[in-house]
Amino acid sequence: MFQGQRGWFCRSVSQDLRQFWVDEGGTVSDVQAADFLFSCDASHPDTLRIYQSLEYIEDNATVFHAYYLSAVANTEMKNSVALGHFVLPPACLQKEIRRKIGSFIWEQDENFLVKKHDRI
Amino acid sequence: ASDNCSKMLKYRCSGCIAVRKLLNSRNFSKLLHSCAYLCDHHKVIMEAEDKYKSELRKALICGKEILLTPRRRQLSKES
Ligand SMILES: [Zn+2]
Repeated sequence: MFQGQRGWFCRSVSQDLRQFWVDEGGTVSDVQAADFLFSCDASHPDTLRIYQSLEYIEDNATVFHAYYLSAVANTEMKNSVALGHFVLPPACLQKEIRRKIGSFIWEQDENFLVKKHDRI
Repeated sequence: ASDNCSKMLKYRCSGCIAVRKLLNSRNFSKLLHSCAYLCDHHKVIMEAEDKYKSELRKALICGKEILLTPRRRQLSKES
């Protein structure tokens, strides 16, 4: 499913999810070369570095929550999972965003994802 | 929570419907900016991120200016 695509993983992402990416044909790369940036923790130093980079400021680096991968792993219609719903904004913005739109999708599905996560 | 989900399904913008094949960390932000009718979810996130980015940009420019301003001239002006 991820054939030929390069992903960067923050150290906050579990080994399982990284493995799923690789099993589905993706490769793991450094930040510069990556098409996809995955993180599970917006305040992890690895991810913070992205939020402070010129690439991010210039709209060239969106971080996605790695729960996207577990959502994909847990559904039959793998392409129906909308990556666009898994944007991970900087930690300092999350409170304000949550106030306006309620919880993030990865928070809503946390229990569901964790429960099924063991199966991966 | 499920209320939020159905809201997202009811109204979907290009950030919501773009297929992953055409979407990545490099173009997503531009995609949102080029979409004329964003859903609440993406609008709020984009606006928050834009604000954060512009503050960061300002801080970056200020930082550079401070470095570029010759310290000596400032001192001589004072004396
Ligand atoms: Zn949307």
